[in-house]
Amino acid sequence: MNGSRRPRIGVFICHCGLNIAGVIDVGHVRELVKALPDVVVCEDYPYMCSEPGQALIKERIREQGLDRVVVASCSPSMHEPTFRRAVEEAGLNPYLLEMANIREQCSWVHAHEPEKATQKAFELIRMAVAKARELEPLEPKRLEVERSALVIGGGIAGITAALDLADAGLKVFLVERAPSIGGHMAQLDKTFPTLDCSACILTPKMVDVASHPNVRLLTYSEVKEVRAVEGGFEALVLRKPRYVREDICTGCGACVERCPIEVPSEFDAGLGPRKAIYIPFPQAIPKVAVIDYEHCIRCGLCERVCEAKAIDFGQEEREETIKVGAIVVATGLRLLDPWALPEYAILGERANIITHLQLERLMSSSGPTGGRILRPSDGLEPRSIVFLTCVGSRDRLANPYCCRIGCSIAVKQALMVKERIGEHVDVYVCFIDMRTYGRGLEEFYRRAREAGVKFIRGSPTEVEPLPDGSVRLVVFDQATWKLLEIRADLLVLIAGLLAPEGLEELASIMKLPLGPDGFLSEAHPKLRPAETPIRGIFLAGACQGPKDIVETTAHASAAAMKAASMLMKGYVLVEPYTAVVNEERCRGCGRCEEACEFGAISVEERAGRLVAHVNEALCQGCGSCAVRCPTGAITIRHFKPRQILAQVVAAAG
Amino acid sequence: MAEQKPPLVDMMSMAIPSPELRDKISALLPGKADFCLQCARCTSGCTAMRLLELKPHEIVALVRLGFLEELISSKSIWDCALCLKCVEKCPQEVAPAEIIMALRNEAVSRELEVPERLNAMLMSILETGLAFGPRKRTARDGRSYGREDMGLPEIKVGLSEEAMMALMELLGGV
Repeated sequence: MNGSRRPRIGVFICHCGLNIAGVIDVGHVRELVKALPDVVVCEDYPYMCSEPGQALIKERIREQGLDRVVVASCSPSMHEPTFRRAVEEAGLNPYLLEMANIREQCSWVHAHEPEKATQKAFELIRMAVAKARELEPLEPKRLEVERSALVIGGGIAGITAALDLADAGLKVFLVERAPSIGGHMAQLDKTFPTLDCSACILTPKMVDVASHPNVRLLTYSEVKEVRAVEGGFEALVLRKPRYVREDICTGCGACVERCPIEVPSEFDAGLGPRKAIYIPFPQAIPKVAVIDYEHCIRCGLCERVCEAKAIDFGQEEREETIKVGAIVVATGLRLLDPWALPEYAILGERANIITHLQLERLMSSSGPTGGRILRPSDGLEPRSIVFLTCVGSRDRLANPYCCRIGCSIAVKQALMVKERIGEHVDVYVCFIDMRTYGRGLEEFYRRAREAGVKFIRGSPTEVEPLPDGSVRLVVFDQATWKLLEIRADLLVLIAGLLAPEGLEELASIMKLPLGPDGFLSEAHPKLRPAETPIRGIFLAGACQGPKDIVETTAHASAAAMKAASMLMKGYVLVEPYTAVVNEERCRGCGRCEEACEFGAISVEERAGRLVAHVNEALCQGCGSCAVRCPTGAITIRHFKPRQILAQVVAAAG
Repeated sequence: MAEQKPPLVDMMSMAIPSPELRDKISALLPGKADFCLQCARCTSGCTAMRLLELKPHEIVALVRLGFLEELISSKSIWDCALCLKCVEKCPQEVAPAEIIMALRNEAVSRELEVPERLNAMLMSILETGLAFGPRKRTARDGRSYGREDMGLPEIKVGLSEEAMMALMELLGGV
């Protein structure tokens, strides 16, 4: 501020309907604020963020010649951009605005103490006014971004996001840790509520993404490190050895036939075998073999039959660094293991108690039974099947949350079982609540009832395997008030859904927040559902919480859109809250360089002396350097000691 | 798999469902019991709710699972007033009253006991054409009044031959 003239501060207090005014005596606060030094005008309004509210601010700026504005309303994370724009439109630098949060940090948390809340609101505003006096005009920082994206996860979410980005003309790296893309959707037989064949709608997408000129596919690869760099991010990708040369393998399968080793197939959810050298499933992309080194006995039979000479036991892990402007996380989910729950662990694994994913494999024509629904224990067709929903879900001792798609899965599978085996099969679904939300799903649920599926509101406590391989359940039916005994030839558990393995680690290397449910947190549940708090990192699909395919593709396209709008512009404007060095004061001691977690500070020689230099593109404005500087040479814009001190003094009264 | 055992047993009475009977009754119904969502709107608005040991939504649930024997011999199916409110209010077009009617028919065809008051009503219809014949009623002043006391014309009782024929046909007799 120029020293010659006193600042002219305008204070605008928002009622936020009754959110603020229902607790705080706004009129009283207004009169107190009016008496503060340098406050030229103080007004209140029911909704300051509304058009007329903003117009009021602009009018007062022009009419009163205001050069500082304080808005006392909600959190700045809500409306700071709104009021900045208003201030700028009135001809002021947008950074000459200070907000006092009298809603989240006052009226909402002190709803039962209106008098104290009123006093606190005044004090918060007094602090904001004190800081406003010290504000300096700033310009937003412009950062160039690399026009490319990394998509982590090659399920339907990752495929959708990658295709959308690639179609927009952006270079995409699609990283999948399994040997093939496709994810869970590739394992499904049919999808609800249309009963579309899952593979039929997924496979073309897999082919599209793999053959897209803008997409580079990195399967059997894992992201190990992510660093923020100028232009975006640098990711270190670990490429696991297949021991088969991807470039020359023809996917003929001769090696698979000859391989003598059989292990449970991951793709068939453990129900069928696969070889130690295998192609995960018929529609796998890339359709090349991979050797499971842990189970391979190096007999060399595969090597002998491979005409393409693609087997290469000499392959080693490789690391590759990829530089991109944005990252879309699409790591999906995993099934809860029912055998880890105490009520099932006590039974020990039983052949005829399977998860819904295993039933899906039994129904799939590419599955272990060629699509026939047969009991694993004896290969006979079951005459009664029971589905239990919420296995490990809505359970304070396992997953407290609802898996959201289990009910629809149960309805789909119950209906499919009736259609495949025939009307004579007795099908029961034991449920807590039926949550078949979503378009077409209520009708779908009705269709299952019409087909004779018996829905029983009640969850069994006892699940008892019988010597003949069937399972006895005792459940209280709340509709008939009967304690029912049901004998199931096959028991299908609708297993809860969890964050995928390794998500915690990935979140930690990417500095992304996880929710209490273990899934990644979005920037705002309603307004920014596909973004993360970190600029340039987006979320697609079930990594943010369980979703069905419809929601997943919508979410993935949203993430791709958000990433594309940033990448195609080629730059982003960000807050100029970066570290700034007063080179005269700097002694070049390097403590700031040590303190910086983002590698944004380096001590360089300038005009014959060592001084700290800040790379603004990397600086996150965290302030670690400023508190370490022994001479006060390094400060953070908009949070300078002078500005903070003014607030502290005002707080102390 | 061992020999076929009923997959469903009522652990309280050891009853098992009767699928054939269930199919027979379902065939008579405009709406399937299977569609019932157990919202209990039928019971919430039931005229005879206080009389019924089994509520309309419970009756539908029992039919749905095929536990019919206990229903056919239950008193509840005879306490229904057949006001058809449940039919009107059911969001899934299940028609509990129609189900109760079908259960009554099954009970009659098995010659199970029908409550005396219903038999009396039937006799009254056959004799007079009226479910309830003209009777005197006591008013607030403590005096009894008949139609003649109110200056109302006498009601002609008895059925014409034509009406009797139609009624018998309706009852499936003759």
